[in-house]
Amino acid sequence: MPTPASPSASASSSHRRASSDLMVRIGSADSEIKLRALRELKNQIIGNRTKKLFFLKLGAVPAVSCALAEAQAQAQADLLVQSAAALGSFACGFDAGVRAVLDSGAFSNLIALLSFPDDKVVDAGARSLRMIYQSKLAPKYDFLQEKNMEFLLSLLNSENETVTGLGASIIIHSCETVVEQKALCHAGVLKKLTSLLEGSPSQKDASLESLATIIKKNPEAASKFVSESRRALSSVIDLSKDRNPRTRLLACMCLIVIRNTSPYYLQEIGIKTKLVYLLLELLDDPGQVGEEASFAFSSLLAQKEDLQKLAFEANAIDKLHNHLQKHLLQPRRYQGILLALAELCSKLESCRSRFFYLEVLNLVADALTHEVADVRTAACICLRSVSRSIKSLSAGCFMKEMIVIPLVRLLHDPSTSVQVAALGAVSNIVVDFTTAKSTFLQCGGLKLLVQLSKSMDPILRLNALWGLRNLMFLADKTCKKGIFFELTAPSLSSLICDPEPSVQEQALALVRNLVDGCLDSIEYVFAEDGIILDAIGRQLQSTSKAEIGIQGMYVLSNIASGNEFHKEAVMHQLLLHVNNGTQAFILKFLQSNDSQLRTATIWTIINLTFPSSPGASSRVVKLRNAGIVSQIKTMVNDPCVDVKLRVRTALGQFMTIGDGST
Amino acid sequence: MSLFWIVIRQLAEIEAMATSKKVITKEEWEKKLKDVKIRKEDMNKLVMNFLVTEGYVDAAEKFRLESGTEPDIDLATITDRMAVKKAVQSGNVEDAIEKVNDLNPEILDTNPQLFFHLQQQRLIELIRNGKVEEALEFAQEELAPRGEENQSFLEELEKTVALLAFEDVSNCPVGELLDISQRLKTASEVNAAILTSQSHEKDPKLPSLLKMLIWAQNQLDEKAAYPRINDLSTAKLEDPAV
Repeated sequence: MPTPASPSASASSSHRRASSDLMVRIGSADSEIKLRALRELKNQIIGNRTKKLFFLKLGAVPAVSCALAEAQAQAQADLLVQSAAALGSFACGFDAGVRAVLDSGAFSNLIALLSFPDDKVVDAGARSLRMIYQSKLAPKYDFLQEKNMEFLLSLLNSENETVTGLGASIIIHSCETVVEQKALCHAGVLKKLTSLLEGSPSQKDASLESLATIIKKNPEAASKFVSESRRALSSVIDLSKDRNPRTRLLACMCLIVIRNTSPYYLQEIGIKTKLVYLLLELLDDPGQVGEEASFAFSSLLAQKEDLQKLAFEANAIDKLHNHLQKHLLQPRRYQGILLALAELCSKLESCRSRFFYLEVLNLVADALTHEVADVRTAACICLRSVSRSIKSLSAGCFMKEMIVIPLVRLLHDPSTSVQVAALGAVSNIVVDFTTAKSTFLQCGGLKLLVQLSKSMDPILRLNALWGLRNLMFLADKTCKKGIFFELTAPSLSSLICDPEPSVQEQALALVRNLVDGCLDSIEYVFAEDGIILDAIGRQLQSTSKAEIGIQGMYVLSNIASGNEFHKEAVMHQLLLHVNNGTQAFILKFLQSNDSQLRTATIWTIINLTFPSSPGASSRVVKLRNAGIVSQIKTMVNDPCVDVKLRVRTALGQFMTIGDGST
Repeated sequence: MSLFWIVIRQLAEIEAMATSKKVITKEEWEKKLKDVKIRKEDMNKLVMNFLVTEGYVDAAEKFRLESGTEPDIDLATITDRMAVKKAVQSGNVEDAIEKVNDLNPEILDTNPQLFFHLQQQRLIELIRNGKVEEALEFAQEELAPRGEENQSFLEELEKTVALLAFEDVSNCPVGELLDISQRLKTASEVNAAILTSQSHEKDPKLPSLLKMLIWAQNQLDEKAAYPRINDLSTAKLEDPAV
């Protein structure tokens, strides 16, 4: 056997020579030579990504585009077909190619081919345009212009299947807003698409996908589709039994869109069960259909406990587990299965138990280190979902090196979406009710969380704080100390004043868990001259968001459960703004519409005026002078039972202490 | 003595059960079949569907003229499809690829597995013809990048290249790749892909009908003795076995 090195080296240089010779021939004035060269180029690049890139760099796209324009001027059908096909292949599944074709200005020439008298030319043009419209880079089609809508309708009404397919691709690519959906409905596109459901297999598929695009999240379009023709919905249901798996999948997706959009259609148990079984069966398809089926399955189950239960009864966990065990999973399929498992385990404990029973966790742990970012993200989302199980958290199922080490590593993943998903999983796992939080600390998880809480990206800051907050939940003294020293008082106070309200809320919730429990932990908010407490007071005074008020008031309430010094510090914050003309936040909160905020505020007052504490009576006097006692008196019949109960406790305490000062 | 009688009774019962199957005589059966109406047009369509799918273009054309049955596809496309199939079957894979691309450039651009199998077949043909250097160059230039994109392609590629390592390829573990059946497998994969791209089902309907017939007979066997069709090619009704 000869060594491969030497012949291939000379081969690739001869290959390069041949390629540049081909480029010369494409530019030839002899149309016979040009035609053969175009066909040769087309045959080299079809199906071959490497060759597409290679010729792209050689400048083939502008050359072909130029040949197309010339052939158009002279109406040479053969040249038109070959050059359009070559451009279409450059654009097929290859974004750099789409960009090059668009930059070369070929787009309008391709559109012009659609009105050419020769059917083969029309076909070639429509096919290439469809390739372009399958990419996100395609120019957005403006349906709101009248002449554009007319043109689209003319495409959909064409006798040529490729041309109707192009019309559908344009809708799928460019219809995004409700206004666009309405414009399409108004122009009668739904009716046209409904009639295409009876067309050829490719027309059925195109129509199903377009219908889903127009109906998605638009209840008006959904009811128009269903009511316009009695057969419309039943045709889609029939197509879910089609022989072609792709058609079955698209029909399912269309039905899911309709039922997720409108609460009136397809809510019967029969159709729900049917969709679950159909999609589970489609998962077995070895190709793209199988990949996409898992995503459709997720959208069917999303937020719907009844469907998750049906899926559980249909052994969905076992089926997904079987798929996950397969050798050499394609990344897209891998991702889809993990996300489907995540959705399935998002609410029901029965699903999670089955998940643990089958030891799916080990397979998900493997996915955490997959080379493709989307797979890693999906694995994290799945972990987050199963770690909602308090039972398994208590059993310490997640605080194992197999999970924690790769998960912590993902906290500094190059992809932000992986980081965010990993933080989501970490947040749940660190809640851990056993003593195993140390596993997380030992492998450097805390340092990374703190580092991410200072990220420039607000979503990362938010999720990192969420993790820290949960890590702090019921943590022991050493753990709290460790977190606090890593995080430090100054950065905690600046997080409380973060520009993002959601970050502020998490920071306050973190402090709430920090000062929860023993007296010692309350001392943390007094570190460095009490900058944390000051920040809280400032934030409570300025915020208009109830969620922030709630977390902040529970912090104060926890502090107020401490010793006299602690209570006085809270009083100071409460009364700071009473005399400077603005309304004190405590009064604002007591009058809030949010009952949880009212409850949190009353709790603080209760803790401050606990009768056995020495300074209670002087604090009641101060509260009365600030108008707070009289405000509380007006709340004895609060519509919220919880508030009403706490108000009575507070009033009882005021009575015990005595209205002595009056 | 009593045990003996029990055994005898059981045997009798078993026999009674076996003979309790309903028997349908040939005359009864034929009478029943006579009541089933089948439209001539439907049969013609089935025949046309078979001719078109299997690619008997001349026969289909004649049948169209004689029976007036319109094919559900342009007959010219059958000729093209058959030319592709024939090219693969005779080892002219490059020619086949060009023909597929002329027919519809989308087929190989959107079907990586089929494209890989055609390229693999090309490699096999080069090896068959002893063009070792050319084969290696082709494997490296054309097939290796596909292997990088897809793990299972890489495994198939390794298997194919392994052909070069053996002196006597007919006797090596991967020798079946050189077999004519490999060509036929690839050819039928291309044929199916072209049919699908033409919005046509890739399998003829007639074999499915016959499969259904055999299945229905197997079901019926458990309940009745009737004139069975054992030889599909003659469709002869056998006398019921009692």
